[in-house]
Amino acid sequence: MSEGLDYKFLVETFFVALSGVPTALFITIVALLVALPLGFLLALTRINQFPVLDRVAQIYVSFVRGTPVIIQIFIIYSSVPLLLASIFEKYNIEMNVYDVNPIWYAFIVFSLNTTAILIEVFRSAISTVSKGQLEAAYSVGLTNVQAFRRIIIPQTLVVALPNICTATVNLIKATSLGYALSLQEITLRAKVAANVGYNYVEAYIDIFLVYLILCSLVEYLFKLYEKRLSRYRAVGI
Amino acid sequence: MEKYFDVSYIVESVPMLIPFLKVTLMVAGLSVLFGTILGFILAAMKIGNSKIAKKIAYGYTTILRCTPSIVLLFLTYYGIPAIADNFGVNLNDIDKAVFVVITFSLQFAAVMSEVIRTSYESIDRGQFEAAVCVGLSNTQAYWRIILPQAFVVALPNFGNSLLELMKEGALAYTIGLIDIMGKAELIIAGNYNTHALEIYLALAVIYWILSIAIEQLFLKLEKVFSKGKQVITTT
Repeated sequence: MSEGLDYKFLVETFFVALSGVPTALFITIVALLVALPLGFLLALTRINQFPVLDRVAQIYVSFVRGTPVIIQIFIIYSSVPLLLASIFEKYNIEMNVYDVNPIWYAFIVFSLNTTAILIEVFRSAISTVSKGQLEAAYSVGLTNVQAFRRIIIPQTLVVALPNICTATVNLIKATSLGYALSLQEITLRAKVAANVGYNYVEAYIDIFLVYLILCSLVEYLFKLYEKRLSRYRAVGI
Repeated sequence: MEKYFDVSYIVESVPMLIPFLKVTLMVAGLSVLFGTILGFILAAMKIGNSKIAKKIAYGYTTILRCTPSIVLLFLTYYGIPAIADNFGVNLNDIDKAVFVVITFSLQFAAVMSEVIRTSYESIDRGQFEAAVCVGLSNTQAYWRIILPQAFVVALPNFGNSLLELMKEGALAYTIGLIDIMGKAELIIAGNYNTHALEIYLALAVIYWILSIAIEQLFLKLEKVFSKGKQVITTT
């Protein structure tokens, strides 16, 4: 039955899979743009033991880290339309819930998910910057914002960068679950192409290659950035 | 009209889901077992002197870390029978759990090899030298001095990887394994696709509790095993 790999299909589908890269990257970038500031702020509430908010952040992180992403996707995908429908009904907005582009759900899921992961990343990174740094910044007359922007954040970023890189790569990998939202990204496109002739092995090899290239590239870029940032690294003790 | 959200579905579905936790845990347990063994081999290759072995081990880790679990899962699920077919072996009737275990063992091995390597390297070389100095053989030194210390260092990372594996294991339903997630899908299909939200919430709660339990267990273990650990206290 097996006649080896269908090379023509393999090459053709590679480009089909490649055409899903912009979607995957778009979701990744939006999720990071939301999650980076939000994660940093919530990490600060955890460190300063800001009342109520720090407990909320703690439970939130525990939930997101304790449940599979696919279940988070399904929960959002089945709850948000219900909420939207009731809101639309209440305010008499003429819009069908099923017309909402699934990419919005992907934004919500992956932003929420990445925020939780980055809270932990920033929390551990901020706590590595010694308290004396902040005090020294105050004593030379910097304001709170200046002290954070010029002194604390650069040092935090150096420590956090490898973990942010891991989080980003994991995020890109997690977008492969977008098929559950019928999102036209890398995995789904190749899979649909394979449905015609049952060339699943070839399709998955293509998907595998695309993710491999994408993630290696992201890792490489982070390495470059890390090198640039490393001048902020605390030397000595 | 029927209610959109009905809490009773959450309560009802939990007893139906719990028995399938066994499958989830068994698959995770087997993957951890095989993954750790393979991880040890890979870590040994990374630490050892052979340049080729090093390249292979690092390459393997990079590739596996860049592959989404679901892609690897389908690659093994469709790929292995296709390869076996070329050798005239029919693997189409094999239990799906086997493919799941293979996938997650491969993935866990990549993670574990890094965990083992870093924890091994975190142990000061002087410890080994001191052990040999007092007359222990190489094997004894590794077995009695290095391993117990490296074990404590590796424990938190091992716990995290295990949790990660268990969560990724939820994807096994995509190839039709009836674990806790697969059962949830069946229940939802049985309800004519209504009340999916409640079932998923029940599932999330089960996973959440399981994760917290495992996390606490590892914290306890860490405390027990780090008893003899000497920490250089800095003020």
